[in-house]
Amino acid sequence: MGNLYHNKTAQWIAYGVFFAVLAIIPLTVDDSFLLNQFATYGVYGMLALSISLCWGFGGILNLGQGIAFGLGAYGMAMTMQMQSQTESNPIPPFMLNNSLDHLPMLWQPFQSTGTGMVLAIAAPTLFCAVFGGIMFRARVSGPFFAIMTLAMLSAFYTIILDRQAYTGGVNGLTPPSAFQFAGVEIDPYSPTAYWVVFCFLMGATVVAKLITQSSFGLVTQAIRNDAERVRFLGYSVAGYETVIYTISGLIAAIAGCCWVMLVQYVSPAQLDVSFSLSMVIWAAIGGRLSLLGSIFGAFLIQGAQSYLGDTFLATWLLILGGFFILVVRFLPNGLASLLESGLGLLATKRPSPAAQSNGDAKPMPAE
Amino acid sequence: MDVSSFLNALILGVSIASIWLIAALGLTIIYGAAGVINMAHGELIMLGAYSSYMLQFYLGVPYLLCIPASFVIVALVGLALERGLIRYLYHRPLDTLLATYGVSLVLMQGVRLIFGSDPKYLAVPEIFSSNVSLGFASISTFRLVILAVTALLVFALWLLFYKTRFGVQVRAVMQNKEMAASFGINAGRVYMLTFALGAGLAGVAGSLFGVLAIVLPTMGASYVVQAFLMVVVGGGSLAGSVAASGVTGELQSVFASFTNDTFARFIIFVLIVVFLRFRPQGLFAQAGARR
Amino acid sequence: MPGLLEIHNLSKSFDATKVIDNFSLEVVEGTLCCLVGPNGAGKTTTLDLITGRIKPTGGKILFANEDITAKHEHVIARAGIGRKFQVPAVLRDLTVRQNLEVSYSRQTNPFWNLFKFRPAGLKTKLDEIATLAGLTGRLNERAGILSHGETQWLEIGMVLMQEPRLLLMDEPIAGMTEVEIEKTARIFKDLRKTATLIVVEHDMGFVREIADVVTVMHMGSLLAQGTIRQVEADPRVRDVYLGEQEAA
Repeated sequence: MGNLYHNKTAQWIAYGVFFAVLAIIPLTVDDSFLLNQFATYGVYGMLALSISLCWGFGGILNLGQGIAFGLGAYGMAMTMQMQSQTESNPIPPFMLNNSLDHLPMLWQPFQSTGTGMVLAIAAPTLFCAVFGGIMFRARVSGPFFAIMTLAMLSAFYTIILDRQAYTGGVNGLTPPSAFQFAGVEIDPYSPTAYWVVFCFLMGATVVAKLITQSSFGLVTQAIRNDAERVRFLGYSVAGYETVIYTISGLIAAIAGCCWVMLVQYVSPAQLDVSFSLSMVIWAAIGGRLSLLGSIFGAFLIQGAQSYLGDTFLATWLLILGGFFILVVRFLPNGLASLLESGLGLLATKRPSPAAQSNGDAKPMPAE
Repeated sequence: MDVSSFLNALILGVSIASIWLIAALGLTIIYGAAGVINMAHGELIMLGAYSSYMLQFYLGVPYLLCIPASFVIVALVGLALERGLIRYLYHRPLDTLLATYGVSLVLMQGVRLIFGSDPKYLAVPEIFSSNVSLGFASISTFRLVILAVTALLVFALWLLFYKTRFGVQVRAVMQNKEMAASFGINAGRVYMLTFALGAGLAGVAGSLFGVLAIVLPTMGASYVVQAFLMVVVGGGSLAGSVAASGVTGELQSVFASFTNDTFARFIIFVLIVVFLRFRPQGLFAQAGARR
Repeated sequence: MPGLLEIHNLSKSFDATKVIDNFSLEVVEGTLCCLVGPNGAGKTTTLDLITGRIKPTGGKILFANEDITAKHEHVIARAGIGRKFQVPAVLRDLTVRQNLEVSYSRQTNPFWNLFKFRPAGLKTKLDEIATLAGLTGRLNERAGILSHGETQWLEIGMVLMQEPRLLLMDEPIAGMTEVEIEKTARIFKDLRKTATLIVVEHDMGFVREIADVVTVMHMGSLLAQGTIRQVEADPRVRDVYLGEQEAA
């Protein structure tokens, strides 16, 4: 009792401090390449957040989050590609190379930036709702659902690779100019781009946190614990699972859009199995039961990976794999659980009157 | 599409099925008996290919002997893996999945550090690199070898699981671990041996795939998703995996003759999702299958 | 007057074995019906069939004149049937408070619940049930650390939080002390004012104290039904029970 880690007020303060620190970064960093890199970490943070929401709180292990991320990214890349096409030159060059002489149906909505953006978010979200709905209604759960997401991911990877004339195949899409929104160009190396990602990350985190504290969040945690029992309380387990899986997919789709805005590039590599599993590793190492812990895990691992550089990549992945095994074996709730037990020790040593009088400081098993 | 090319597709389908099946065999028995989803299965296949390569390159062992030797080597790796890691995670199925993915990273990068990322090749006896003509269709001899080895292994596994004392023990543990323990069956030992056996089967698959394609540290990744699907569609039993591989292999081959390999794979994936909507327990669900 | 729950010619077979064989039952609103019978008589299976956990091979189940046969579990629960399981099933990773909170399932729509943080009326109801179940001091504990008796009470509390019209209690007093059993009997009798109960129980002393109607099952069929006095006087019931005792 009285562990500061479980105190809701303390949790919100921690969120405030975390985002305050992230907000200071563009004021202190002059190097625009570095700022761009930090912004991509923000995107990884959103992905880790989406995994934490779905897996940590909903108990649904999703190894195919790359689908939502990738579809969002492709939608955004298509929108940006079409922004640079003109009346006299209406077809992206790679299509011409694949001997397409007119814009395919699939691409036509992306001629309008507004429609394109809506589709980039809506298509992956709709996919999650339909696929999740089918699977959860059939009561596919646990490891089987994980395998099915993996299979679906491979299916998308395959089809994007195969339909070269529509997707650019293995080369992917490289929109030549920066994203234009409402007449303003968002230079990926500018603080503006950083702030866009910052706002989405913060928005997604706050929404996710509120979801976990709502009645919905309580029901999903109950489902994670014992889905069978929850059915007899009158809740449609499939419905709840579909909703949390879809919300998680929505966050990943937004992350995909932000990512393309930052790097002006998308390829099937974003739907590669190893990338989707990286997201799970971030959340697992940071602490899947903690939204903030997961984001921190993404920062930590991606940060370490880019500073060690490509020369040490193989060694680094070896160490990461080993570290991941140790975390799964000995610290299933990640680094955040170290903080939890640390603060727990503190609370038992010095029982603070404030924490004791606060009856709401209940031990939330999650967060 | 004329009859002969259709027949050709069917024959090719049998070959594809045997490749998928042999990749899935080890996974099937590990999942079926112990309920473990082994994400490192692809890398065990890769290890099988590299063990064959090492035996051949450094010791000059003839190819046909490399196959059983790879079985032994990879089985030992599997044994060590089970004792050192998996046995602590049996009650946490999602965590075994993750931990074994960690293992796959370690194995893949370890091999890359030792052998580098450049491809290696396995040499096979001259006779295997020819083609056999069946009148209307022709198929490479090596694919027939794979078919034969697969058939042999399925038969051996059937004997092992249904005709021996060990098989009875495995099936008892699958049905009810506690009950089996009260009859004096050591469940831990059964799991350990099953895991080693499954890993060994991956080793055999690896030494065959090393000939079919080039030997690379990343080669395992391309087989593992497919192999999982065979297990899921089959329902985790041996017969299920055989049937699932047979059906999907044929479908893949027939679809591919209309479109191309990649698109055919996509159709298969979608069909599997639809299939599981109506039959989530797979083709032949066995008692004790954990779901 | 038709019963709140009507079971007509219910059957269930697993492979070739008939577990429930042409079983019919009618439970009148506001009564407490005890379902008794030797082990393997099909009592828990009957509850499974009522609550939709398994689907019958034949027959019909009506609840408040509506056909609920083979409906999904959550649909049946929403219609107003709450169930306590034989092996107490509580959400072990959640706190006692959260267990009770999640059982207060007035609003089950996932979209609505995204915007709900403190459901109306929850606090009063939660305090009332926690006091009734004697768990007021344990609300912030993880349910997994409760003793067996406390777990029983928590699950009874969860069922009461649902405010169902029909309560199915599968061996509610197993592992309880004499004092607790008396308390349970009192609560059950009180509940009859607002709800209908079906209680599966082995303890004949407890059955004698609470039952309005006793239904005896044997080999998946109805053996006898009536007041406790009638049933105990029935020679067929004696045969079944004595036979079992000899075998045991």
